[in-house]
Amino acid sequence: MLGKVNRAYLNGDNPFRKKVDLKEGLIVRLIFIAASLAIIVSLAILYTLVDGSIEFFLSPKVSILQFFTGTKWTPSGTDPSFGILPLLSGTVLIAGGSILIATPLGVGAALYLTQFANKKISSMAKPIIELLAGIPSIVYGFFALITISPILREYFGASYFNAASAIIVMAVMILPIIVSVSDDSMRAVPRELKEGSLAMGATKWETAIKVVMPAASSGIIASILLGLARALGETMVVALAAGNVARLTLNPLSQVQTMTAYIAQVATGDIPPGLAVSAAFAVGLVLFAITYIINYLAGLVVIRIQNAGGTASNKNKKLNIKKAFNKSNTKLTSTLKNNLEVKKIQSENTLGFRHKKGKLGVVLVASCLAVAIIFLGFLMFSILEQGMSGININFLTSYPSSNPRIAGIYPVIIGSIYLIGLSMIFSLPVSVGAAVYLTEFAKDNAYTRVLRRLIQNLAGVPSIVFGLVGLIVFVRIFGFGTSVLSGSLTLSLMIMPIIIVTTEEALKGIPKSFREAARGLGATKWQTVRHHVIPYALPGTLTGTILALSRAIGETAPILFIASVFAKTAPDSIFDGFLALPVTIFFWTRHPKVEFQNLAASTIIILLIILFTLNLFAIIIRQRSQANRDW
Amino acid sequence: MESKEKMDNGALVISNLNVYYSDILAVNKVSLSIPKNKVTSFIGPSGCGKSTLLRALNRMNEEIIGCRMEGEIIWKGINILDSKVDPVALRSKIGMVFQKPNPFPRSIYDNIAYGPRIHGIKNKDDLDNIVEKSLKDAAIWDEVSERLNESAMGLSGGQQQRLCIARALAIQPDIILMDEPCSALDPIATTKIEDLIDELKKDYTVVIVTHNMQQAARISDFTGLMYLGELVEFGETQQIFENPKNELTEKYIMGRFG
Repeated sequence: MLGKVNRAYLNGDNPFRKKVDLKEGLIVRLIFIAASLAIIVSLAILYTLVDGSIEFFLSPKVSILQFFTGTKWTPSGTDPSFGILPLLSGTVLIAGGSILIATPLGVGAALYLTQFANKKISSMAKPIIELLAGIPSIVYGFFALITISPILREYFGASYFNAASAIIVMAVMILPIIVSVSDDSMRAVPRELKEGSLAMGATKWETAIKVVMPAASSGIIASILLGLARALGETMVVALAAGNVARLTLNPLSQVQTMTAYIAQVATGDIPPGLAVSAAFAVGLVLFAITYIINYLAGLVVIRIQNAGGTASNKNKKLNIKKAFNKSNTKLTSTLKNNLEVKKIQSENTLGFRHKKGKLGVVLVASCLAVAIIFLGFLMFSILEQGMSGININFLTSYPSSNPRIAGIYPVIIGSIYLIGLSMIFSLPVSVGAAVYLTEFAKDNAYTRVLRRLIQNLAGVPSIVFGLVGLIVFVRIFGFGTSVLSGSLTLSLMIMPIIIVTTEEALKGIPKSFREAARGLGATKWQTVRHHVIPYALPGTLTGTILALSRAIGETAPILFIASVFAKTAPDSIFDGFLALPVTIFFWTRHPKVEFQNLAASTIIILLIILFTLNLFAIIIRQRSQANRDW
Repeated sequence: MESKEKMDNGALVISNLNVYYSDILAVNKVSLSIPKNKVTSFIGPSGCGKSTLLRALNRMNEEIIGCRMEGEIIWKGINILDSKVDPVALRSKIGMVFQKPNPFPRSIYDNIAYGPRIHGIKNKDDLDNIVEKSLKDAAIWDEVSERLNESAMGLSGGQQQRLCIARALAIQPDIILMDEPCSALDPIATTKIEDLIDELKKDYTVVIVTHNMQQAARISDFTGLMYLGELVEFGETQQIFENPKNELTEKYIMGRFG
């Protein structure tokens, strides 16, 4: 028998021919479509912005040159002027200012947490930083306008709306991004590097500054870029606190308007319909382009980190060392020739001073962390103080009203719950399907790379841009109107990239050996994934989804165009108008009467309680699954 | 249990097999015949391509991106490398046991029953029988018969590996591939598995990769020495170890390199 070959298969007699499984083929096709939605969503964003911009620029009253170089932005009135520079300066002033404050604070806090803090402190600090990250921007906006701004007015002579209040609050808002990314980067510095420095007699502080920070520099730069992108795309803080009059100035005490604030202004109906409204799309396009570039740069830096130690950087390092060596070599020989006595190192001389410097340094970076914690405490305290008394059964069961004494938020809570419930129904299956496709089925080709890049980009799109997209695509083109359907579809678009990323992480965490064993037994890809991957990735997926939903419930900008200001009741069907907690907070905060501001504070407390409960669910699920895991 | 079909399965005949990982040629023009109902072992130093060669036999290396195969592997008159051959169908006839025991985090019963279930066996009695026979054939039935519903993760390393062997047997393959099955186990567990392999060859064809020369000498009937992707020598184990024809083989046996 050995050696005899019978090419029976040439006659079509193949016992190993593939069995066609319609069900499996259909499933794979479905999840491929789910992943490819990234392309459709990206196109929808581009269409919305470009189409609206073209309509704007086609108008005879608008010139492209004036748009990009003009210094006056007065969109309403008889003789409107559309020069974007004041909006740009407002954006740069506030984003730049907050980065200037957040960077030293954030890097300092990360340095303290990774190099100096003991386990107890760092384990307590981590949840606090995550808490800061979880607070919705509308809450920060409230705090900026109601608490910070009056202080600036009284002691610094700021105007009623001012950039400084936004800058201060946003600095703390983007702090968690800088802290966590820098923290990861510093922790990744190899222990051997630190030990080498300490073994030479360097203090911990010197090691931290001269060894760890330079080694982690790429990650720190990436964190700053990511924080900047977040700051540029922020809407609610600036819409509430910085003002609605565009001014070309860099004075933080004066009122300014950012690009995002202008779009929000259009959304809230303060702008009469017409040219000024379509201007929002042009502004949105510029905003989109800027944040895209910053996110792209951040991505490049991240890739450079991942290739750290690669040939390119090593080559450059070698060249530089060679050059430096050649330069110093000549100097060295000349001094040695004359003076053969090498100076003795007497480390005792400066030791005391170096230790003192180190201690001071630790205090400095510890205080960076303390600032964040104190700010959080201040924020929680002032909101509780203002809103606690207003919370009672009546408040929770009544309807909004122009009389603050009887106004309640019952339909608002229902509206928010409907909103995130529907968002979950729309986004969960599609996102999980897309993640399963990308992780388990996608081939390594250009199409897959494009999909991945698009999903990454979608995660960085400013939320107000999603608001514009939702308005054009769901409200107008699909014709769903300003309904809870439109609102939840818009929110789904926004949270899908988040769920995709967390699900992919959960899937990747399942050991390869399970898949190998199943494949070795003759299981198809889908059987392998369905039986041996997805069940174990469910807890991680669920946790990620709940966290995404808790972000969604606090988001104002995406639904600003859609949520109703005038609705009085909770929606009865998905086509009804709706109220939502963050939008109600927004309008009550802006109300001149302090009673409504108090109501806003009470609503914020309710929102935070709901958020806290959702996060608690996520944590419990995570703990339970870790405990039950036997692999 | 129904008797095994005495169809002339023939041997696996490998002709001019090349396996590429992107640009790297990991298996270079290998030709040999694997005889039926015998234990064939591949030995050689780390990185010589023996695992790659083994994984070509059930097309498992296709799971790695960038892997390409040329040549023919003829079995039952068919070139199993042909694109018309579905690897999923192939793997129900050529089973595999991996280096590190990889039971599913489920009950012992479900681990064994998984293969038969996906290949269409639904009846509980049929499954019970298959599970019992497989566990008995893998010489582990006595140790687990009382706790079939407990998690497989509670077994020791050696028990887990025998469980994985039972799991592979449950799909009733003709050929069993083993990729260094004992390298993660202690000596006592190793002995148990070597004894098992000796029993298995009565009903199955076994191909085993091992980095342990003495193991190959102990349990295999035919041995092939791989070095840098090439098949240096292939023949009856006794001849390879006592009377190697190739100088390189002799050096490896004597421990001069590896």
